[in-house]
Amino acid sequence: MPYLHHGAYRIRYELVGPDQGPAYVLVNGLTQYAELWVGYRDALANKGFRVATFDLLGQGVSDKPGLFIGQDDQVAVLARLIEQLGAGPIFLSGISFGGLIALRYAIAHADRIAGLVAMSSFAELSPQLLLLGNALRTGLILGGTSYLQDLLLPMNLSDAWLGPQLQNLEAVKRQGWLTNDVYALQNLMESFFDFKPLTPLLAAISVPTMILNGEFDFLTPRALHETLRIHIPDSALVIIPRAYHAFTLEKAALTIDLLGRFAEDVLAKRWTGGQSVWIAPDEAGGPLVPFPSDYDHLRAIPARRVPA
Amino acid sequence: MSALLGPLDSHGRVPPRQQTRVAAFLLSAHGALARHFAVALASQSGAARQAELNAQFYREAEIMSLLFHGTSWVPDLELAFLGPRWEAVWLLRPVSGVADRLQGSIIDLAALGHAVHAAIRPAALLPTDASPQDAFVQALRRIEFESGRLIQAQILFLKSAELAPVRDAVSAAVESRHAEVRKLWRGMLLGLGVRCDEPG
Repeated sequence: MPYLHHGAYRIRYELVGPDQGPAYVLVNGLTQYAELWVGYRDALANKGFRVATFDLLGQGVSDKPGLFIGQDDQVAVLARLIEQLGAGPIFLSGISFGGLIALRYAIAHADRIAGLVAMSSFAELSPQLLLLGNALRTGLILGGTSYLQDLLLPMNLSDAWLGPQLQNLEAVKRQGWLTNDVYALQNLMESFFDFKPLTPLLAAISVPTMILNGEFDFLTPRALHETLRIHIPDSALVIIPRAYHAFTLEKAALTIDLLGRFAEDVLAKRWTGGQSVWIAPDEAGGPLVPFPSDYDHLRAIPARRVPA
Repeated sequence: MSALLGPLDSHGRVPPRQQTRVAAFLLSAHGALARHFAVALASQSGAARQAELNAQFYREAEIMSLLFHGTSWVPDLELAFLGPRWEAVWLLRPVSGVADRLQGSIIDLAALGHAVHAAIRPAALLPTDASPQDAFVQALRRIEFESGRLIQAQILFLKSAELAPVRDAVSAAVESRHAEVRKLWRGMLLGLGVRCDEPG
């Protein structure tokens, strides 16, 4: 198991796929761990990508600093990992907290990557997200990792996914509970105490950027993704039908397909972001459909777009 | 070498030898914290932290009581050697970079509490088929759950504005205590044939 070093801390990472291929770097969400990307890793490696997965500082098998973890440290860790990947084209993707770290990296090092995929991500703490984050942190403090999982599972996954798992939820939660420590998760959450909105900096992301947002994402709703779309010049917002915040878990085949197609389009110079809005297919391989231009993609009912 | 306690008996119970060693270690660690909190409580009459110290002291005492009553004790001669080694680690010491010795001791106590409550996860050692009705199993689960709450007092203090001027020294003290506690915990488990695979 290889490790990177960040100061005194060790970061567990894994590289899979051809040495010379374009690379994909996948960044975990807050309560995740690298093994959750195994399906992505194998599928993208089969498509010819070199895939890097890792546990953030404070997660999984990486070291867990006792008191403080700054988001700048996470960006530095990500930079160190990307240094390992050589000079070929690199695609960076992250979900939720990992999406935020990927955005921060892309703002600082846009010249180092060929494309960015921000999934269930945000550049600002809206009042809803701030209050939800505070409530989740309190839940973690009072009820532990298991209670945080109890809150996140119904918030971030659909009935269609949860239904068959209802009798098996403890087993579903167990690896996350084993891998995560209360104090380390708390440190990750408290890295938002000095958070400054990234919105004024998003224009620095000059690379093609695909923004993926679940249709029913409750935790980071459409408006937060809209901020990314508006401020990242070469972006496209893709809405994942019937998906919630954790669609990388629930709709892995579709998401893998979208990641692969994005990178292939960028490499073939077919990508046209144009701050456009799309609807992803229900299944992998289907066509993306432009969001009807005369309707407002920020609404949950079919309301006509009001000219700005 | 297993990552979990066991093999369990037909009633889903952890072998008594493992129960004894794990409980002895936890009693040593939480007993030391209880003693330190009792002394701090006596010396800080009227101080703002008294209520929290009081809560910490009684919660640690509850953990000790749970272990005393929930463990199937068997003779373990090695404890005669292991116990003093563990106890030596729980002694408070000055914190490098903190000139005020009293403040240094308080920081070290909080760092030790942080490490014991964070680095020791006894419930994570239980196989999934451990009996939820067994007193030892219940004790381990309760200790891990309560540790997640008890650590909040340490986190609040160690991250407080009061200690901001000595933040690096505080962080170093916490990391040092974590490393010590993890080493002792892993070593104790290895003696039982349980491998706790963590970095650091």
